[in-house]
Amino acid sequence: MTVSGIQEFIAELGGFAVTAEETLRQIEADMEKNRGMFSVFSDRMIAIRGTAQQLSLPKIAHIARLGEEIAMKGVTAEKRPQIRKAVGSLWDALTTVKHLLQHHGEETAEEHDILVNRLEATLRAFGGARQQVDADEIERMLREKK
Amino acid sequence: MLLTDVNVLVVDDVNTMRVQVRDILKQFGFQKVTLAASAEEAQACLKEQPYQVVLCDWHMVPTTGLDLLKFIRGNDSLKALVFLMVTAESTKELVVQAIQCGVDDYLVKPFTLAQVQSKVYGALLKKGVLQ
Repeated sequence: MTVSGIQEFIAELGGFAVTAEETLRQIEADMEKNRGMFSVFSDRMIAIRGTAQQLSLPKIAHIARLGEEIAMKGVTAEKRPQIRKAVGSLWDALTTVKHLLQHHGEETAEEHDILVNRLEATLRAFGGARQQVDADEIERMLREKK
Repeated sequence: MLLTDVNVLVVDDVNTMRVQVRDILKQFGFQKVTLAASAEEAQACLKEQPYQVVLCDWHMVPTTGLDLLKFIRGNDSLKALVFLMVTAESTKELVVQAIQCGVDDYLVKPFTLAQVQSKVYGALLKKGVLQ
């Protein structure tokens, strides 16, 4: 991880955050009509997670991962309270990701843990994360295909 | 073909990642590395000159990396290209989709220098681009 790499990423996140915030506002404005926009938020979270993982920022990557999964649950949420819950959780996730990025050199373990617990509880209430595969499993799947 | 002659196209909407992948490839001796910030930009690059390998992110808007893969595999003049998906996406059903669409290999973030080297070299050797 280089300092310049992180600084560039933080600067770039500004653009992601604007998109993500605008998306959440639009969902809040009309939850039933705009819930499909959760996928836009999820895409931004994946971008943040991937880059954070590559830059060895695991806390940010973890929260982005939870945000990504909760957003995907929001796409198919049928009840308004569920959509509202997803939106609220995603605001928390986005705010914390931004805070962690801006203060990545500081100790923020306690607030990170509190948020992670809350997001994990929300995700569990939505039925849990989608099934993931690791690099070894992907390798095996590719070999089988060939 | 020599490694220094291989044209590589790196497609990612995150500049930090594009630059990092390019720097890794240059460390391995690739000299012709072009960066594209979207699938649309990548398609324009592919029209301009021949490439041998594409390293592409999945989650881009409005056209995804999977859409770009389908476009390449559906195009007679491009379908033999080596295509590696470089992504944090590891949801099983989506990985299966990429494999079914003809992805040559898959680099899951976070990746190491050695993984990039092994997968890019491996795919180029397998397709007979490098001898």
